[in-house]
Amino acid sequence: MGKTVLTVDDDPDVRLFNVTVIEEHGYTPLEATNGEEGLSLIKQEKPDLVILDVLMPRESGIRLYRNLKTDKKLKDIPVILLSGIAQKSFLRSQKALTQFGGAAVPEPEVYLEKPVEAEELAAAIKKMIG
Amino acid sequence: MDKILLVDDEPDILRVLSISLKADGYNVTTAQNGEDALVLYRKESPRIVLTDIKMPGMNGIEVLREIKKIDDETEVIIITGHGDIESAIEALQYGASDFINKPVRDEALSIALKRAKTKIAINQKLKEYTLDLEQKVADATRKVRRQANFQSKLIRSSNDGIVATDENLQVVIYNPSAEYIFGYARKDVINKMLASDIYPAELADLFREEMNGPNGAKEIPWKETRIISRNGDSIPVGFAGSILSEKGRKMGSVAFFQDLREIKRLEQELLKNERLAAIGQTVAGLAHGIKNILHGLKGGSYLVDLGINKDDTDKLLRGWDMIKRNISRTSELVLDLLSYSKEREPEFEDCFPNDIAKDVCDLLAERAKESDVEIIQEVDASIQEVSMDPRTLHEVLLNLMGNAIDACLFDEDISKHWQVALRTQREADNIIRFEVADNGAGMDAEIKRKLFTSFFSTKGHRGTGLGLMVTRKLIEEHNGTIDVNSELGQGTTFIVRLPFQARSQS
Repeated sequence: MGKTVLTVDDDPDVRLFNVTVIEEHGYTPLEATNGEEGLSLIKQEKPDLVILDVLMPRESGIRLYRNLKTDKKLKDIPVILLSGIAQKSFLRSQKALTQFGGAAVPEPEVYLEKPVEAEELAAAIKKMIG
Repeated sequence: MDKILLVDDEPDILRVLSISLKADGYNVTTAQNGEDALVLYRKESPRIVLTDIKMPGMNGIEVLREIKKIDDETEVIIITGHGDIESAIEALQYGASDFINKPVRDEALSIALKRAKTKIAINQKLKEYTLDLEQKVADATRKVRRQANFQSKLIRSSNDGIVATDENLQVVIYNPSAEYIFGYARKDVINKMLASDIYPAELADLFREEMNGPNGAKEIPWKETRIISRNGDSIPVGFAGSILSEKGRKMGSVAFFQDLREIKRLEQELLKNERLAAIGQTVAGLAHGIKNILHGLKGGSYLVDLGINKDDTDKLLRGWDMIKRNISRTSELVLDLLSYSKEREPEFEDCFPNDIAKDVCDLLAERAKESDVEIIQEVDASIQEVSMDPRTLHEVLLNLMGNAIDACLFDEDISKHWQVALRTQREADNIIRFEVADNGAGMDAEIKRKLFTSFFSTKGHRGTGLGLMVTRKLIEEHNGTIDVNSELGQGTTFIVRLPFQARSQS
């Protein structure tokens, strides 16, 4: 059975694109439309990889990422962050959040800026989980 | 003790008189002729001289004249022969203080001496008074000069341009700051130009009117205006002035000019910086929006390629849909940007605001139904046909109502019966209050703070982040206001107040 990859994005276009790329390369896709749904799916299905949009309504993407990386059982699941904001801005915002008393979170395994090529995404998935 | 010089060619008289004068307490020196008298006079400087008029050699008149030449204040009493009125008159003409007739009687002598002494005392007093007066005048002059100097330094060193005129508006004071503002040299202005020659027409008229108006001082309050300097520059200044008057009579005018060039320059710079910051923000937000769209287009192309290569119609169609969706997102973004960047004057037209509200609700009915949101309309029936910009109202209400439905859509509490209400209410004589209230997701303080700034969208892929910016811009162009109350999880209420005018035709 193929490895599972969860894509969490509020944009149906992005989900469709991600799911297609995941399927085309022989993985099993899972989808969630927001952070809350994503977290419960992760707990339930234990996917091998999560592709996450950081910029979703109510900051649920960032919350999901921080919840994931501070959870002992889940923190080893690799994450590809896929976002419209530059990596630098994202890292800076995380540093600021940590300074405001949040737990320190590690940088994501892979950070991709939108728009991303299908090959690029596929290569990143392959690099993470083979 | 008073010194007296006694001059007579007759030694007997000298002896008798000097005994009598010494008895009266005088310090007496005697001389038997005019020449000796003058030598003694120089040596002793007596204040009173008593001289016989008829003497061999230098006579009494000559002695008198010589002494008066030396010291005008010496009292010279002439002793004349009986009936020699002519000599007595001559002596008086030359400044003798008195004359007594021979034979000299004690009473006459003592009266003459007493008078002489009184005169000396009065002279002395007068001299003291004069001296004192001169001293006082000198002191006062010094003080006045110091004050005038201080004031002129004060005027010179003032940062404000100060221009003072006489009652004919002739410039009499014109300090270096005024020189700097007006550009005319001090020497060309003072006593040569009229204030109306250098003031802008508006101020010149004002001063002329005030000068010709009713008597009494008058303050011209601070205001901003522009000066045209000598070389034609238009210089922004703060201006305040006064008509000066003394005892109710106008005596001139004074005007203060504060150079606002630097302040205006800083204001401009600040505005520019703010605009640059806004552009930076806009570009950053725009880049984000465009990246999302590009991502959608790329994803679509990927699906289309896949569909073609694998002959998979389903993928092909889904890819094509994706491309079409992202094309329409592009046009939405561009339209929003256009309407935001365009300066627009509201166009007032007769319209029924309640009807516009109803149109908006009808337009959104389907979208609301899809999202399980009930739309409630509560309109104030007293609002009839008025004149306002119907397009502004339509776009504002459409945007806020659309947001309100979205706010319900994003609400996580699915146990709620979601409602969006649109209420109209006539508030003041010329204001209508529009209220758009939802019981959806609500906002926290952070989101409320960012609400009207560009490209802040909580809607993820759905929003361009421009909607509320455009809404606020439209409302402000219509001289209206927008306020928001929101509580996280409870809902949000936007209150828009728009002024209207009475409808144009009755």
